[in-house]
Amino acid sequence: MLLIHCPHCREDREEEEFSYNGEAHIVRPLDPESLSDEAWGDYLFFRKNPRGVHREMWYHAVGCRRYFYAARNTLSYEILHTYCVGEKPQIDAANEGAGA
Amino acid sequence: MSNNISMETPLMHAYGNFSHHEYSAGGEIAFGELLFDLVVKEMPLCSHLNIRGDAGDDAFCAGILQVLGIALPTQPGHYHTSRTHSLYWLGPDDWLLVSRADSIDLQAQLRAALSGHLSIVDVAGGQTIINLRGSAVALNTLLKKSSLYDFGGWGTAVEGGGRCVQTTFAKASAVVANRPDGSYELVVRRTFADYIARWLLDAGSEFGCRIEGELGA
Amino acid sequence: MTQIQQINRLAGGARVDSDGVINFTYNGRPMQGVSGDTLASALLANGVDVVGRSFKYGRARGIVGHGAEEPNAIMQIGSGASSVPNLKATQVELYEGLESAPVNGWPSVDFDLMSIAGFFSRLMPPGFYYKTFMYPAKLWMTYEHFIRRAAGLGRSPVGDDPDSYDKLNQHADVLVIGAGPAGLMAAREAARAGARVMIVDEQSEFGGSLLASTQTIENRSASAWVDLMVAELKTFANLQMLPRSTAFGYYDHNFIGILERRSDHLSLSAATGSRQRLHRVRAKRVVLATGAFERPLVFAHNDIPGVMQASSVSTYVNRYGVAPGSRMVLFTCNDSAYQTALDWHGAGRTVVAIVDSRAEPNGAMLAAVEALGMEVMLGCAVIEAQGGKRVKRALVAPINAQGTEVVGSVQRIACDLIACSGGWSPAIHLSSHTGAKPQWDEAIVGFKPGTSTQQECSAGACAGTYRLSECFAEGAQAGAQAAHKSGFGSGVGLFPQPPVEEHDEYPQQALFLVPHTQRSTRAPSQFVDMQLDVTAGSIEIAVREGFESIEHIKRYTALGFGTDQGKLGNINGMAILAKALGQSMAETGTTIFRPAYTPTTFGAIAGRDIGELFDPQRHTAMHRWHLARGAEFEDVGQWKRPWYYPRSRASGGVESLREAVDRECLAVRNSVGILDASTLGKIDIQGPDTAEFITRMYTNSYLKLAPGKCRYGVMLKEDGMIFDDGVCACLGDNHYLMYTTTGGAAGVLAWLELWQQTEWPDMQVYFTSVTDHWSTATISGPNARRVLAKVCDDIDLDRQAFGFMDWRDGTVAGVAARVFRISFTGELSYEINVPAHYGRHLWEALIAAGEAFDITPYGTESMHVLRAEKGFIIVGQDTDGSMTPADMNMDWVVAKNKTFSFIGKRSLQRSDALRDQRKQFVGLKPLNPNDVLPEGAQVVFDPQQPIPMSMQGHVTSSYYSANLGHAFALAVIKGGINRMGQVVHCPLADGRILAAEIVSSVFYDPEGARQHVE
Repeated sequence: MLLIHCPHCREDREEEEFSYNGEAHIVRPLDPESLSDEAWGDYLFFRKNPRGVHREMWYHAVGCRRYFYAARNTLSYEILHTYCVGEKPQIDAANEGAGA
Repeated sequence: MSNNISMETPLMHAYGNFSHHEYSAGGEIAFGELLFDLVVKEMPLCSHLNIRGDAGDDAFCAGILQVLGIALPTQPGHYHTSRTHSLYWLGPDDWLLVSRADSIDLQAQLRAALSGHLSIVDVAGGQTIINLRGSAVALNTLLKKSSLYDFGGWGTAVEGGGRCVQTTFAKASAVVANRPDGSYELVVRRTFADYIARWLLDAGSEFGCRIEGELGA
Repeated sequence: MTQIQQINRLAGGARVDSDGVINFTYNGRPMQGVSGDTLASALLANGVDVVGRSFKYGRARGIVGHGAEEPNAIMQIGSGASSVPNLKATQVELYEGLESAPVNGWPSVDFDLMSIAGFFSRLMPPGFYYKTFMYPAKLWMTYEHFIRRAAGLGRSPVGDDPDSYDKLNQHADVLVIGAGPAGLMAAREAARAGARVMIVDEQSEFGGSLLASTQTIENRSASAWVDLMVAELKTFANLQMLPRSTAFGYYDHNFIGILERRSDHLSLSAATGSRQRLHRVRAKRVVLATGAFERPLVFAHNDIPGVMQASSVSTYVNRYGVAPGSRMVLFTCNDSAYQTALDWHGAGRTVVAIVDSRAEPNGAMLAAVEALGMEVMLGCAVIEAQGGKRVKRALVAPINAQGTEVVGSVQRIACDLIACSGGWSPAIHLSSHTGAKPQWDEAIVGFKPGTSTQQECSAGACAGTYRLSECFAEGAQAGAQAAHKSGFGSGVGLFPQPPVEEHDEYPQQALFLVPHTQRSTRAPSQFVDMQLDVTAGSIEIAVREGFESIEHIKRYTALGFGTDQGKLGNINGMAILAKALGQSMAETGTTIFRPAYTPTTFGAIAGRDIGELFDPQRHTAMHRWHLARGAEFEDVGQWKRPWYYPRSRASGGVESLREAVDRECLAVRNSVGILDASTLGKIDIQGPDTAEFITRMYTNSYLKLAPGKCRYGVMLKEDGMIFDDGVCACLGDNHYLMYTTTGGAAGVLAWLELWQQTEWPDMQVYFTSVTDHWSTATISGPNARRVLAKVCDDIDLDRQAFGFMDWRDGTVAGVAARVFRISFTGELSYEINVPAHYGRHLWEALIAAGEAFDITPYGTESMHVLRAEKGFIIVGQDTDGSMTPADMNMDWVVAKNKTFSFIGKRSLQRSDALRDQRKQFVGLKPLNPNDVLPEGAQVVFDPQQPIPMSMQGHVTSSYYSANLGHAFALAVIKGGINRMGQVVHCPLADGRILAAEIVSSVFYDPEGARQHVE
């Protein structure tokens, strides 16, 4: 049962209000038709499964109905920070390290 | 012709279902022998408009203020209210307007005053307002039973506005707002209203809880 | 009177009222206790020695502890539907009329077959599950039945639980768990700082160890000091106090589950309200002040009734006024247990000897007992207890300084009580739940809480701090800090430290296994885990058999697997293992404690989410009409939808489903029917980019859809598979209304929001759910227009003017309505939408208007039959997330030349989507016209082939059609579209094989003429 800070509601809210939407920052290719089956398959199906900080997308389904991003440690479940679509993360990947 | 048209509010079904006898049967405190510490009352048939727009657009904010006489709440989890209108923050570009004014007129006035990319949708048929009043202990316990949200940090609402939140309510959802008189209002979806009424009466039974309103037509 | 007198009751227990007599029964025998007793203290007062039989060996067992650590006194409380199994007698508060019986012991506690037969010990070596019962697997049920019956793990109540349970979602700045010395101080400081504080304790009253303490605090008895302290805490409005409340689990992000027992301590007649309440607490900071458990000493036959924990003996004497015996031998390796000798002596009973494993202890406690003339045997150990159902003597022998060998002659000392103390183990369970790795600390000879990622700290005995003054100081500091870190106060305690009378202690000895004159594997059993009969010898055997990890040993021997979760036995077990492996304790580590700390009822976890509140039932505005009309309902998601409307038969009785559906379907095809379609998802979409946006989401284009028109569309996930379908109408410039399937409404809205918010935030488009706003009545059939004309005079219903796939605004039955001319039955149909307040009015007006045409309400079953006759798919029934539009023979809905590569388009060109022999949507006509193929039936080409057969597809929808006069089905079959006319077979579980011909999926009116009737 996570407690998630919604960057739009600016409050910590219970996990039940949210739904998880997988890895964040996957950009849809601009010209899908130009991609090989393999490249398209990578976009469709292949996801990171890091031991440590994972950038993921959450939807505040029973709340403000906004999607936002979270940096969450998959070992400790600690959420380092959450941020809106279009915002720059406060912590860059280099500072997050591999785990812990 | 219109005088033959019966309107049915979302809780009307509940009025018929929960006669006092039926509800007291399994309850802890015999009906009739206690002062009800909790009262569930529907505030039916208001105008409900869902408004979407850009809070950063000064003209949009000015148009809202001009038509409604209250400012657009831009602080998350707040609502503004006047004698006629209540405007609830639902999301950064998403508000609920509940009003005693005629919906068609209101929509026309808003559309005339506002321009640019926005959306105004009549949702009155799809939801209703339930007022919960009672002792502070009973209300707090009821909310703690029903919702995961922490209402403890809200403080008291004042004339002109208060706090609101869209959150889980039992296994459904609701917009919950505090009122200056210490009561709370729930905005619930029509098709869940029956379930919510059952839930409220059950959860409130330890304090004595009744539903107030006319029986169904 | 046959009642047993309270032979062990003393005058003057600190927390009991000896005048408040309480009657209860044990094993059917009437007994008396006093107000303030637990069941355990009352049983001891009544001289009950044997309270159960052990799990494997059937040995007699007595009460050893006084709290959650108790392994033996496991009781069934109450009878009938309210009966609760597996409660610890040490945690059950006595109430008038309580009925109790031990759960262990078959056929009876006092006369145990298994013990006499003695075969079970040979049957159950370590790893007995794995060795004995592994094969043959089919006999497992038999074994399990026998083991459970033999071990007697309690009886589940039969019948519904008559009690009520509920849940509260709580929020706290500071949650203090445990109301002993450290917890009380923490709560007071945090509350004073202004934080919202909760303090919980599993006991019936606050005070923890102080309730049984003889120490003096602020010139008062500890017991009186607790009363003052609790009274002071009650003055804080921002402090919530929950006694009888066990924090059973510590979950992510400081979420703690707490079970409050609200009426378990009351007799049935006195109990009102919920029996138990689950508090789901989210705390900013948590102070763990859960105390410590005294460690048993492991010696031969240390399980005979009358061997007890020293601190428990003190608790029974001081708190409850019960002396469980008369002649005590105290066996200790530390100073703290000397207090028990003083307490026992103070109760007027005899201390036969104090056996201290340390050769040269020195200090105030030793001086105090010697001053009373007690015999102290230094450098000695109780190596074996003797007796049957009660201890008769202790065998005492000198041991070496390392505590590993007997080095002198054995002396027999007669006694009836052996009080033991092996030191203390911090109660680190909740800390462990956070994932913190316990740290071995040689100084305290125990595991201390490790570093946690949660916002918590441990204070007092659970952190390995045992001196009372230090517990006070640590608790106060923890409370002030917790408040400060959650935004209240300076972090410095404000109350003065209460002065305490105490003295220094001489260091303890680490003694985890007491030596015997024989090796552990040969010596009489030395029990490590009493509940599951794990002995020191069995751990050593497990090591000899090659097990090295504590987690494996735990599973192999069942160490710590009981309902007490090894609260007493685990540390000794790990130490014995470490020694056998030649490792340090730090290297061996400990098993991970997991929730729940103590057993938690399912009732509390379910709370009020039971019966009609189990899941919301969603109703449409017409629901009362359906009820009044006797409709049978179908669950569609959370919706209650009319399934069919059975009528009385002319011949008597009520129509069956088949009869009602036949009648309803014929009525639609021949005259007119009416369906409540309000449950369809509806999304209002506005903004300048709406047409472009929805064209990206659907497979077809909406760029040229004019106001007044609508269009059927299919949505794909990016993998090319169909995930929803529905009609989308253009309401005006930049304004559309999208229909979704009933079950897909929330998912489609989230899907639209996802793409708009995260991928194309610059597209100007807003989505608003209007599913609940509109009520929808669909009238369908050749007379539909005539019915509508009776209640609508401001829409030109001419079939040219209001064509198929058009919509119009107008007035229907006096209400502003939006009417769509679309069809899911293939007949002329109008879907009439009004705001839901008018839904029932509209419905009843249409029923009245249709009377002349015998308008027939039809439910979901007839709707399914009618649409299937037309080959219209239902997403989620005929598709399953692996079907493309081409698979469904719906290429016509995919626009080939849209400029934007709509969602899923590229995937339709993947080699897998283009391969031959994909499953394709076809019709099936059973060769026997009355064979309704079961939905889900597998399709094979050759029914004679050996099993396992090669499965070629499956039936997705199947019905009997009154209109066609035969059964029919829809199916997906490999390469099906090119197999028209072939016969396939459905082998059923009952051995029948039904044959059917592959045909077109459109069975009725393939030209589509019927929706254009005059």
